[in-house]
Amino acid sequence: MNDDDFVFPAVRGHGLPHLISKGVDPKYYLAEHCGKSTGSCGGVSTYHNIDTEHGFFGLAGTLGTGFPISVGYGMTSKWNGKQQVVVSCFGDGTSNRGTLHESFLMAANWKLPIVWVCENNQLSMYVPVKDHHPVENIADLAFGYGMPGEVVDGQDVVAVAKAVDKAVARARAGEGPSLIECKTERFVTHSIGLPDRIDLEDRTKDDYVELKKRDPVVLFQEKLLKEGVLTQKEMERIDQEIAVEIDAAEAFADAGSPPDPSVLDDYLYAK
Amino acid sequence: MREIQYHKAINEAFIEEMERDETVYLMGESLRGANYPHSEGLAKRFGDQRVLDTPICEAAFCGAAVASAMTGYRPIVDLMFIDFMYTAADEILLKAPQWRFMHGGKVNVPVVFMGAAGGGMKLANEHSQIPSSIILHSPGIKLAVPSTPYDAKGLMKTAIRDNNPVMYFWHKQLMAVTGEVPEEDYTIPFGVADVKREGTDVTVVAYSYMVQLALEVAKKLEGEISVEVVDPRTLEPFDLDAVLKSVEKTNRLVIVDEDTERCSFASELAAQVVDKGFTLLDEPIKRVCAGNYPIPGGYMEQHVLPSVEKIEAAIRSVAV
Repeated sequence: MNDDDFVFPAVRGHGLPHLISKGVDPKYYLAEHCGKSTGSCGGVSTYHNIDTEHGFFGLAGTLGTGFPISVGYGMTSKWNGKQQVVVSCFGDGTSNRGTLHESFLMAANWKLPIVWVCENNQLSMYVPVKDHHPVENIADLAFGYGMPGEVVDGQDVVAVAKAVDKAVARARAGEGPSLIECKTERFVTHSIGLPDRIDLEDRTKDDYVELKKRDPVVLFQEKLLKEGVLTQKEMERIDQEIAVEIDAAEAFADAGSPPDPSVLDDYLYAK
Repeated sequence: MREIQYHKAINEAFIEEMERDETVYLMGESLRGANYPHSEGLAKRFGDQRVLDTPICEAAFCGAAVASAMTGYRPIVDLMFIDFMYTAADEILLKAPQWRFMHGGKVNVPVVFMGAAGGGMKLANEHSQIPSSIILHSPGIKLAVPSTPYDAKGLMKTAIRDNNPVMYFWHKQLMAVTGEVPEEDYTIPFGVADVKREGTDVTVVAYSYMVQLALEVAKKLEGEISVEVVDPRTLEPFDLDAVLKSVEKTNRLVIVDEDTERCSFASELAAQVVDKGFTLLDEPIKRVCAGNYPIPGGYMEQHVLPSVEKIEAAIRSVAV
């Protein structure tokens, strides 16, 4: 993807992985979460995030917002001659929304350059995917709209990258939207402070041990080692660099001040 | 009398009404696993035919509830955060309230919509609203806004038994508040205000969590300004007589409404009091509402939402 390609992040995580994947410094994300004026939205939102230089024009807390917003990004991409594409991410829960169908329809009708990416972690808060979606693959929704629909192993970083590359190339070539479903897992609860349940049963420590065996980061590290792309030492250095970056982001967030109330008027209407 | 928490009071109302009437059922997202404690234990007790986890498709399940209600059932639809009602605005604001009227009164729509309302948790615009004015602007749907565990239970039971659509806002800040709730069956009639505290100098009309803030201020001003706190408990139907009766005594009115000020319930009540009780007033009516901004998150929330300081200032400004 290019810097100016549009991304709508999946809501859970508030876009952090999507921002990082496009090279955005996470310190603005963290400062926003802490409500500081140095945050990406000036600290007024605490969970919306924006970085227009990198194709992020915002996030929202009402599930399913991303579908129609992405259609709009797609229209801009198609009209402005910049060859941009849109990657629009959502969870299995959000796939329930009617806005998905309306947006899939418009994007397919108008051959908009959109890659729809479903991050299916198989749990919608406490509801397992089998109880909220009637067939095995959410990707099958693509076929009704004449789009390619592909299921990939979401724990396999390379498989995901390959599938997205193919769909991005297709979108950029003007051939229209695609849907990719990444089958993944939820390693933590829906929201910190809430129980981690599937229907009525709490997940156990053993469940997590089992899930963690297929942690995509660990699997990718093993692959890189095995194929000789990186050595153990190089990987440790990367871990250290990450730790330094996280410390710096925390320091940046701590150092910021809460916004001045006068910004309320500045932010409400454009001059 | 025993004391229980606000969420437990709602939970008891569900259990009693579901046991009393087998057409009552609950529908929403992650209710079985209990997204909020008010649905705790219901799935085990009543089974999955009467506690339904829906996909995240508000338009579909709110619309379905309208039809289910007019064909023999009494659905309680839990929208989780009430802000999510916007995703089913057609069903909640145009279909549920208007169906009966537009079909010559030939069918009833006994559905309860409910959701967590209000701010104070720094959750920002899409998880902090108390959109009373939008409901009030849609004739045909009632609006219950309980401020205590007692009211929460009694109003929920009345809402379930009502033959009309009812919107029920429960407030996140009240969830863990405890209060006296009788063990025996009781209901609270809609449109009957409750004077939560008697006073002689200034009338404060407040609803939902704002009642608690108003009471806090009233207590603080004790001995200096005597504040009467009137809680309408339902905003539609609305007990205007109770407000006029109180203003007749105090000649001063402050209205506290957590919803956005412009075109709010507070604005509507101010207009009604001017219309029906102009001569009772010695001072201008003061409104304490959320400012005319989206509700920000984090530190900024306090600058937009009503607070005890803002309520106290408004009371002092009229208590000359």
